[in-house]
Amino acid sequence: MPTFIRLIEGRYETAEDVFTDVADEDGLPDGAVILSLTRFQTEGDALIGAGRSVGVRVTADEAVEDLAYDLPRLALVALVFPKYRDGRAYSSAALLRERLGYGGEVRAVGDVLREQAGFMVRCGIDAFVPADGSSPEAWAAAAGRFRHVYQRAVDARAPAYEERR
Amino acid sequence: MKALTANRLIDGEVVFWRAGQWIEQFPQAQFFADDDAAAEAALETGKAQPTIVVDAYLIDVVEAPGGYAPVSYRERLRALGPTNEPTHGKQAAGGAGVEAILAATGAARSTGRVDLIRRK
Amino acid sequence: MYRYDAIDREFLADRADEFRGQVARRLAGELTEDQFKPLRLMNGLYLQLHAYMLRVAVPYGSMDSRQLRRMAHIARTWDKGYGHFTTRQNLQFHWIKLGDAPDILDALADVDLHAIQTSGNCIRNVTADPYAGATAEEIDDPRIWSEVIRQWSTLHPEFSFLPRKFKFAVTASAKDRTAARVHDIGLVLRRARDGALGFEVIVGGGQGRTPYVGPTIREHLPVGALLGYLQAILRVYNRHGRRDNIYKARIKILVAALGAEEFARQVEEEWAKIDTAAADLPDTELARIRGAFAPLNFETLPARSETFEAAKRASPALARFARNNVKPHKKPGYAIVEISLKAPGATPGDASAEQMEVIADLAERFGLDDIRVTHEQNLVLPHVKLDDLPVVHAALAAAELATPNINLISDIIACPGLDYCALANARAIPIAQDIARRFEDADRAEMIGELKIKISGCINACGHHHVGNIGILGVDKKGEEFYQISLGGSGQEDATLAKILGPAMPADQVPEAVDALVETYLAARQGEERFLDTFRRLGMAPFKEAVYADVH
Repeated sequence: MPTFIRLIEGRYETAEDVFTDVADEDGLPDGAVILSLTRFQTEGDALIGAGRSVGVRVTADEAVEDLAYDLPRLALVALVFPKYRDGRAYSSAALLRERLGYGGEVRAVGDVLREQAGFMVRCGIDAFVPADGSSPEAWAAAAGRFRHVYQRAVDARAPAYEERR
Repeated sequence: MKALTANRLIDGEVVFWRAGQWIEQFPQAQFFADDDAAAEAALETGKAQPTIVVDAYLIDVVEAPGGYAPVSYRERLRALGPTNEPTHGKQAAGGAGVEAILAATGAARSTGRVDLIRRK
Repeated sequence: MYRYDAIDREFLADRADEFRGQVARRLAGELTEDQFKPLRLMNGLYLQLHAYMLRVAVPYGSMDSRQLRRMAHIARTWDKGYGHFTTRQNLQFHWIKLGDAPDILDALADVDLHAIQTSGNCIRNVTADPYAGATAEEIDDPRIWSEVIRQWSTLHPEFSFLPRKFKFAVTASAKDRTAARVHDIGLVLRRARDGALGFEVIVGGGQGRTPYVGPTIREHLPVGALLGYLQAILRVYNRHGRRDNIYKARIKILVAALGAEEFARQVEEEWAKIDTAAADLPDTELARIRGAFAPLNFETLPARSETFEAAKRASPALARFARNNVKPHKKPGYAIVEISLKAPGATPGDASAEQMEVIADLAERFGLDDIRVTHEQNLVLPHVKLDDLPVVHAALAAAELATPNINLISDIIACPGLDYCALANARAIPIAQDIARRFEDADRAEMIGELKIKISGCINACGHHHVGNIGILGVDKKGEEFYQISLGGSGQEDATLAKILGPAMPADQVPEAVDALVETYLAARQGEERFLDTFRRLGMAPFKEAVYADVH
């Protein structure tokens, strides 16, 4: 079974991925699934009603606000980083946590490299599917690289100005 | 004619291909005839050395008074060094090969990359 | 000036350590060049024509003697003994080896310097008024707000992978020395009628391929609300700025596409939803930062220095320097001294290690240990006693740093151009050198008066040609360097984009063309008109006629 890295209570660990990431043109497999936003909007209700675990894949150009009313029913939200340099999903993650109050799993998928770990964690992402094969240890080292941060973000870290008080 | 060039990874130095080695001076570079398949072969070899050089590519070369010179102005500057500091870069070594590049006239292409269109 | 504490220092150490690891992974082949490139760019390291180039941040153009001496040390140890000051108030080293870069970052961190976010699609080093804390014009110290932005933007979790690079300018004077209206965001401090301090917020200016003078989207943003509002702007841009085309990815394109009103509406809508209590800096931290820029201990001096007046009478060279390079200070008996890095024939913006050390010594002995970089590629000693000016001038002159040409025709901005830059189409430095030599006569230069020539070696416009009174753009015409002249630009408070004069010309015709433009101006000027004023009054026609009349 494929795995991913999960952040739980400050620890990074390998977890088995029980979800099948389903492309729009593919048939629905059994078990837990991750659907595109579009497909979720047509098929999601029925699946959730049938007791399935459903996650939604949100691409960088889609607005997470469109999921606002569905969030409590979702098993996870997967944010797609189409390219390392495409930073839209950071805003999506921050909005999910801060504005939409989502407390479930937010997973980074796509071009996900360990150099982004610190930024992702600070924006509230707590699950990672690294494209560079990073281990949880390497991920933890990258995410915890800096002893200080300068600004308040989704994570609970005290910014420099609070440390200075 | 063509020559193969790149920048060396560790220090960024402009280097040229000569018989399986990367060397620093353009005048000593290996010049390939336009139809010589060895040029493409050298390019493939260079591209397969990502921990030695960055961005290997072929450039057009023409005869110049007393030697050879890259066709394009940009490549001449890479082979010589900056014009505002004549003691900096490869030009500082002087010699007939450097004089030939300095004497070359009639630039013909902006970048001198022979396969510019294909690369883009 | 702002002093780093243990937190800032540990942050820089962590950053240098991170980059050392990334370089090691690159050299070992664990990172491809495509993966490594954005990482090195985030640390200011470019691969240019002849070597790597390291762009060191000079935070809002301000440093002390210890830091400038360290720049000199780096120039000598790891480069060819000089550095190049840029139009973004930074310092570039042009002959750096990748293998040395980690050691250089350590050497910088040791004196609280770094190269963080001097490149890449992130928020870059903030440009600020180089006369901050010294000019009587300012209504607040722009360095306070620049430091606020520095901290907020450093490794910002949400805004480090923007569609494109993002540049701030902050000024608090009526006279704009930052080119605020051609930045992604220009912040101009203003007082409201009730005395409340606020920012005029200008968004979407810029140069490059598609230049814009930025529109004002908010006339008066209370200063305490700055970070929440910036978060709103950056979030709108991060989500909606174009990412499909690198040439259309700057915020100016988004602002222009939406229209300033609609852009402002989206920002306000986003701002209304932001928890500003969490986003804005607490007053205590603002007060702490403000305290770091508290007024210095200036001596109480008479406004007029007899020493200085006598020395000027005795030395025409000092008198000329005083006319052009010495600017009024807010405190009686002090002056702002501009150090021109534009000696005739020199490379604009270059300073040798020895020159840096001379300036560092002067700053320490005579300048309250403060040095500034201007976006016009000169240096400033912002606080010099009038009494000390003769000594300072003599020391500068001995180091070939006393060129009395600030704002004159030979005070030319030029990017590194094709002599160094991998993006350039044509050289810029030799053009600047040729023009400066042609106008070497200091009397004539003074008679011509304020005239800003700005030269870029490609359309990216690092040499600010769009806002030059005379702008010169290097283009590639079938492999040859050609230069397109434009006229009437200004990067100041009256920001205007220059208009193209006519067809591009080869390099050797450029100085002659500039001469013809100057002669046209001199023949037509009325009273105290500057070149720009005469151009605005007359329009393009007589200038065009003068340059192209003989060409046919």
